Amino acid sequence: MSVADEVLSARRGAGNNRWSTARLLRRLPWWIAAAVIGIGGLLWIYPFLWMVGASLKNPLEVFTAGLSLLPEKAEWSNYSRAWSDAGFGKYLINTVIVTVTTVILVVLRCAMAGYVLARQTFFGRKVVMVVLIATLFVPTGYTIIPVVEISEQLGLLNSLTGMVLALSGGAHVASILLYLGYFRQLPRELEESAVIDGAGFFNIFARIMLPLANPVTATVTLLTFLGTWNAFFLPLVFSFSRPDLRTLSVGMLAFVGENSTDWSGMAAAASISLLPVVVLFILLQRYFVEGIAGAVKS
Amino acid sequence: MISRRGFLGASAGAALGALTASACSTAPSGGQAAGAKTLRCWDHFQPRADLHKKLFADFQKSSGVAVEYTVYNPNQQGQALQLAFGSKQLPDVFTTAGVQLPHARLRKEGWLAPIEIEKEALSAMPADVFLNGFTHFEDKLYSLPLVNFRQYSTLTWYNVELATKAGLDPERDLATWDGFRQAARKIEAAGGDGISGWIAPLQFAPRLGEHVTELSMAAGGVGAVDPRTGEYGHARDPFVHAIEFLVSLKKDGLLFPASTSLDARTSRARWSTGVAGLFFDGPWNIGVVNDQFKSFLDKVGVAPIPTSEAGREAILYASPKAGDYCVAATSQHQDQAAELVKLFTSEEVMLAETEQMDGMPVNLDLVDKAKVHPTYKTAAGIFRRQVRLRPAAEVRNPGASDVVAEMKQIEPNLGGIVQGVLSGQLKDVRKALKEYDAKLTAERDRAVKAVAAKGVEVTADDWAFANWTPGQDYGRDKYKTS
Amino acid sequence: MAVTAVPEAPAERRTRRADRPPKGSRQGRNQLWVWLFLTPTVVLYGVYTVYPIIASYWYSFVEWNGFDADKTWVGLANYKAVLADPLFWNSFKITVLFMVAVVPLKVLLTLLLALVLNSPKLPLRTLFRTAFFLPVVTTTAIVGVVMQFVFDPASGPVNVVLRELGLVADGINFLGDPKTALWTVVGVYIWKWFGVTLIYWLAALQTVPDEVYEAAAIDGAGPWKLLHHITLPLLKPFAVIITLLTLESTLKVFDLMLTMTNGGPFYATEVVEIYIYRWAFAATVPQLGFASAAAVVFGLFVGLVGLLQLAGIRAVRKTRSDR
Repeated sequence: MSVADEVLSARRGAGNNRWSTARLLRRLPWWIAAAVIGIGGLLWIYPFLWMVGASLKNPLEVFTAGLSLLPEKAEWSNYSRAWSDAGFGKYLINTVIVTVTTVILVVLRCAMAGYVLARQTFFGRKVVMVVLIATLFVPTGYTIIPVVEISEQLGLLNSLTGMVLALSGGAHVASILLYLGYFRQLPRELEESAVIDGAGFFNIFARIMLPLANPVTATVTLLTFLGTWNAFFLPLVFSFSRPDLRTLSVGMLAFVGENSTDWSGMAAAASISLLPVVVLFILLQRYFVEGIAGAVKS
Repeated sequence: MISRRGFLGASAGAALGALTASACSTAPSGGQAAGAKTLRCWDHFQPRADLHKKLFADFQKSSGVAVEYTVYNPNQQGQALQLAFGSKQLPDVFTTAGVQLPHARLRKEGWLAPIEIEKEALSAMPADVFLNGFTHFEDKLYSLPLVNFRQYSTLTWYNVELATKAGLDPERDLATWDGFRQAARKIEAAGGDGISGWIAPLQFAPRLGEHVTELSMAAGGVGAVDPRTGEYGHARDPFVHAIEFLVSLKKDGLLFPASTSLDARTSRARWSTGVAGLFFDGPWNIGVVNDQFKSFLDKVGVAPIPTSEAGREAILYASPKAGDYCVAATSQHQDQAAELVKLFTSEEVMLAETEQMDGMPVNLDLVDKAKVHPTYKTAAGIFRRQVRLRPAAEVRNPGASDVVAEMKQIEPNLGGIVQGVLSGQLKDVRKALKEYDAKLTAERDRAVKAVAAKGVEVTADDWAFANWTPGQDYGRDKYKTS
Repeated sequence: MAVTAVPEAPAERRTRRADRPPKGSRQGRNQLWVWLFLTPTVVLYGVYTVYPIIASYWYSFVEWNGFDADKTWVGLANYKAVLADPLFWNSFKITVLFMVAVVPLKVLLTLLLALVLNSPKLPLRTLFRTAFFLPVVTTTAIVGVVMQFVFDPASGPVNVVLRELGLVADGINFLGDPKTALWTVVGVYIWKWFGVTLIYWLAALQTVPDEVYEAAAIDGAGPWKLLHHITLPLLKPFAVIITLLTLESTLKVFDLMLTMTNGGPFYATEVVEIYIYRWAFAATVPQLGFASAAAVVFGLFVGLVGLLQLAGIRAVRKTRSDR
């Protein structure tokens, strides 16, 4: 509907930009909808706000104040404690390196795989599909021990490289399926005309197909970023012998003890480490809503 | 270990090798065989972390060896150790928190190295914390204890302010189960809206099991296994009554309503906000309050575990404990690791450890000298009076450790059963406990058979100690005559 | 068979294979490119996902506690033990219940919201999208604590509202009562992961080509017509994938369940993942073989459900195309 409306208003010319009563009336249901969604949205963001609030409370206040968001007096020391206790500076750099390379690897490998699975016929396609779908449903998380074994045999433990490879080799079937579903429904004329123009296999993918898949790329980037940024088990294993390779989520360990949890310190650490994810989301937003630029007009 | 490097692994390995040609450097997994430059140490002593960091920094100054120190939460530490062992990356020095296997088994499987510390160095520690089969094997030290076996986790902690408001005399009113119930009722009445009598970590089944076991001993029971016969005794009256006591507290509406979804850490935090009067916990409670909820420190009081009837002194039987710090058999620097462990044998360090108010120190007398909260001193006095060492099959016969390691967990376990009764899903307590005992007995018999089949001499009789006397420590000398 | 997991494209593509003249050398070069494109996935995925899964199948035939150096071959004993354990079937039942409750609700609610949020007429869309995504990034441990306050039987806002409205006399113990605990987690789970499914739908909505709308709008189709005749049919292929992904992600409720109920009270919320975890890591003596066997049994079951689903979709499609 969205695009249609834009097109229509463009046709009608600029007269539409005046706030006429009729227009206001037409808009009214949308404002009501916005109000309803807004109330829902408040429920949705509340715990996040609580977390940010808790990061400024003193440890006891986290529990005495219960559901109230604002601390009596902002305790900025939680942040300094989180920063120093969890060695956050170094861990932040590691996390950024690992996450960025993993995202690039995953986007590329999933886009390529999704593309050929969607638009090419080849021997073995069925087998690949069956394996992908089958592994989608296997409870993972218990496979960590074989992952450690094989990484050790390959000499990849205790390195960021090993961490990145293991994270990008993990189950990203969802991303492949998203690309696959997307590439499937693009019109075939795209490829055909490109072939006639003499473009090769790789060029068709890199110059035409991948740019068209921006919404999916944005989705995959975001989800992979999120998953990698918060990954715990693999980074833990890969940094056993090398604490200097720890990531933020592994560093969060410092806040949970046997008899006590430093909730306010943890909330501060969580707030710091979630900032990049939220920023990324806000940046990637527009790709979900941007129409597909340059879709071929048939 | 059966190798399963199949075609898949090999070919993938080749491909990955190509991918990682430009890899970052990987650390050598052995380390330098000469003098260590760094040692790795993992423990779970969160409250003592700052002290340990300081100790290790001093250690580096004097010896030139740096210590990479990590504090874990016990659940995660167990997994971390499991994975580290599998990938041959055990830290040089570690505690075995979260690893429930007996040390005897770990030693057999190549985890533990003997810790070479001269005997004189251990002179500041009381002899009764050392025991073959737990801290020692074949008279060699394999793990150094930092925490005393003489403690329990069902002290009655009360909120002084609420208790005063309710007009309680804690020493008198919290001594028995009936008194405890009355006190909880008075606290609710006097406290007003939103104040409960009792708060408990009902979501944390293992702790619930501990509380019930300890309460059963405060009712004259002898614990989960009867030392005289070696039989499991969960279905006996003391256990049933202990569970019924907790159920009555809930039935009478004295339980803080949200308790069902609290674990030990959050219930402690909630208790510290003053929403409930009474709380069962171990001696470390005051350490956590001191560390995190300082404003509540003046309102904390402690009393012994309540008994089923007036006038009875509760005697609780504690199992012997393995030590805490171990040295990895795979460590390249076992001598330096032993030096590091030796830090914790000096009186001065033990005193500093005591002042963290975590678990009780191996030498309870240090508590009197230490700068600690009065409740911690009270707790030490209570433990001295009430806790006795129980006999252990593992000391008499090392083969018993194999049986313990062989036994599979029985579900639902004691904590789970207590949860089920409290939530109303289990109606018949005694029946559930009988079934539990039967399953445990069958599983132990199976394990004894399985271990005996491997040529280890062990029978179920190894759990029976005819010369056990209630109310006394079962020390090393007793095993000679058993 | 699994090819059908991917919805067939519009009809004109169905004949692709038939009408494409064979182009010998081109075809061969194409095949080469295809496998070149698949290599990163085959290698990475093979080493870090497929091989470990196969290896964990192997574990299910041994007895091993993870701390010993050796594993003992026990054949099918672990499977026998798993199938004989009533608590396994209990966790199985709870997982299925959880799935059945979560998947349709989540897929439909997110679709509705996505349709509204996708409209440029809605004010503050960007803000809303961000808001609905925030729970996804909020740390699970912290969500656990907040939710304990929210659902507190005495002072929690949910109960306060219910009491004010006169719906209940005493507070409901949402997380502590075996009757309500699972449904409470269902609600929290949908709330927490709402944003992900929403993004899937939003991305899917973007793939509807503009000119389709243009044409329809010129024909004077109203918004409902557009929705019914154009948007929804075009979303169908995505609906299958999104449902599949949502189904798969409900199997991973582990950390939320752990922080909120820990599988309790008395196994009332013990999903299979918690059951497996209990045996693999939280038992006094871990039973990795037993846990792997439980994982395999459950995996086979879910795989079977997946296959049935696909078969169903296929059958429906067949009858349609025959008509």
